Amino acid sequence: MIVVVGLSHRTAPVEVRERFAGEAGAPEVMLGKLRGRPELDEVMFLSTCNRVEVLARPKGNADADRARALKAVREVLAEHGSTSENDLKPVLYEKEGEEAVRHVYRVTSSLDSMVLGEPQILGQVKDAYDAAVAAGTLRSFLARCVHRAFSVAKRVRSETALGAGTVSISSVAVELSKRVFGDLNDGIVLLVGAGEMAEAAAKSLGKGAKEIRVCNRSFERAATLAQRFGGAAAPLTALEAELATADVVVTSTASPNFVVTRDLVKRVMKARRGRALLFVDIAVPRNVEPNVHGIDNVYVFDIDDLEQQVAVGLDARRAEATAAEKIVEQEVVQFLQWARGLDVQPAIVALRAKTRGILVAEAERSLQGRLKHLTEGDRAALMQMVDSATNKLLHAPTTRLRRAAGDGDGQTLAATLQELFELPTLHEVDEEPDEKTEKDEDDERAVQ
Amino acid sequence: MSHPLVNALLLLAAATYSAAAVAFLVHLTGRGQKRPYLRMGVWLLGAGAALHATQIVMSSLVLDLCPIKGIHFALSVVSVLACAAYVVMRRRYRIDAVGVIVAPLALTFLVGSAAAHADASAAGSLKSAVLPVHVLANLVGEALFVLAFAAAVGYLIADKQLKKKHVGGVVARLPPLDALDRAEHAFLLAGFPMLTVGIITGAFWAERVESGSAVDIARSLFGYATWALFAGVLLLRAGRGWRGKRAAYGTIAGFAFAVVVLVIYLVRSFGEPHA
Repeated sequence: MIVVVGLSHRTAPVEVRERFAGEAGAPEVMLGKLRGRPELDEVMFLSTCNRVEVLARPKGNADADRARALKAVREVLAEHGSTSENDLKPVLYEKEGEEAVRHVYRVTSSLDSMVLGEPQILGQVKDAYDAAVAAGTLRSFLARCVHRAFSVAKRVRSETALGAGTVSISSVAVELSKRVFGDLNDGIVLLVGAGEMAEAAAKSLGKGAKEIRVCNRSFERAATLAQRFGGAAAPLTALEAELATADVVVTSTASPNFVVTRDLVKRVMKARRGRALLFVDIAVPRNVEPNVHGIDNVYVFDIDDLEQQVAVGLDARRAEATAAEKIVEQEVVQFLQWARGLDVQPAIVALRAKTRGILVAEAERSLQGRLKHLTEGDRAALMQMVDSATNKLLHAPTTRLRRAAGDGDGQTLAATLQELFELPTLHEVDEEPDEKTEKDEDDERAVQ
Repeated sequence: MSHPLVNALLLLAAATYSAAAVAFLVHLTGRGQKRPYLRMGVWLLGAGAALHATQIVMSSLVLDLCPIKGIHFALSVVSVLACAAYVVMRRRYRIDAVGVIVAPLALTFLVGSAAAHADASAAGSLKSAVLPVHVLANLVGEALFVLAFAAAVGYLIADKQLKKKHVGGVVARLPPLDALDRAEHAFLLAGFPMLTVGIITGAFWAERVESGSAVDIARSLFGYATWALFAGVLLLRAGRGWRGKRAAYGTIAGFAFAVVVLVIYLVRSFGEPHA
């Protein structure tokens, strides 16, 4: 099974988390250090602004092996954070087995993110996975767990609305512009006011816009901000002309009176020949007269409207989290069933080897005796028959053994088989999955 | 029209249109960020149109009638053309979700055509090159007006939601307001010359074949009113900047008049003897 050791926004304050940023924490460096630890069989290192964690598979399945693996990871993390293992321990979380698998699925599905449902985490886990593959620190077991995590995230994204809705003022503004204009490729974003809030809005809205223009009482400040976004500046006296060409207007001046009045917008709409106009008023007191919203093809959203949308988005995501957790639970059960199936793999391999060995030995004895006259073709057919008989004979016990393993009875049945058929001691075999299922392959394609 | 294959195709097309309408509806009210039901709706609508087109061809072969003659076929052809235009143009205008209006309209037209008598008597007395031009221009125009109407309805729904400051839910799954407005204008602009040709050829034809009955006069009046309304919408948009809500209401009114013309044809067909 796997273990997870790490720290996140839930366990460590930012002063601790920031110690893990920087080049020393680059995935290649960390993976190099982790690979050098003999206690670990497979490792993956995930580092985001809110999370640093190591996913590992210990060498060996005993409790002592797991304890050694956990200690090894703690030591590497402590070294990475330039601190001692004891100092680090209070802010670390450690998870093993089922709990670790659940954690990986929850993290990848953004159920453990600071902003619930944010989409970046999936890309970050994929990057961590790619880095581990490139460093050669992943083999079948952990790789499969992470792959399943990708498909869990995909399910959560498509079957729930965990990632839907908007959860910040800037993203609400972007969503509003999408509702009205789709994209802003040919659109102009006008900032009325050149403060910090205008700048923050411009960063989000300006990404897709054709042009950003800034209109401010102080022309110098307008010019400075416009320059930062490669746009143009205008004095506040030119507001009417600017409104006539803009598509999305973000107002954030400190003016105690309305800067944009109904009469002004009515005149502007004539000049615009009815083209739609969206006001995002993030100023307090408001800059846009509320009844401007009543004019045809004009939409005004003030700070309360935006915050209400943020609250709605967050509530909706929290409500969806329950459905997402159910998906995670289903997938954890499936993964554990598969993993338990690996416990009986040595018994299956040994039983097949013994059965086939006996049949082949008997066939060969006959081929040297009474069946000596058979041609090469007939001999090949006979050996094929042996293989076929082995498969048919062992199909039912193999299937039942795997099923029993999934239910937690695998070890008992495997031991019984060993006793009944005098199988050799069941050494652990390589736990490569027998074959990839179609579903796994679909999942892999989906996460490319 | 009692051929079993024709009937089977008709039922299949109706079922597919219905399924498309349900898929679009589920898309509009559904959850999750992916949009499988939208794609499903588009495919089903396309499949419904293909089945419907096959039904028209089969039906015309069975009845030995040209499919542009008579209201029976006209409604069906409008339905198929509207669906085909939607499937082809939806990406260009980013109006996939208006399928939620196109699908039930297509179904309604199909049901209307099934209710009407398969009969070419309306045009039977005229052997003129004007007839195909008149009928085809009207059918293509009508199909484009179906799409303009769908975009206009979508616009009004989205506008109402935004005016109520509802940003999520249905409005998030409808096309952007601007896209709906542009699509509505484009379909109207494309359909209007067709309607004009239909009106001119219709006026020429009416002199020769129509009886001058009250029904014929009402149909002509509603035809001219449709043309005048659409002309007004286009002119006011170009001249006075009437966009968005006003243009949407104008388009809906124009389409309603166009439907009245079709209904008059339909009602008249009930009074005519079976072919």
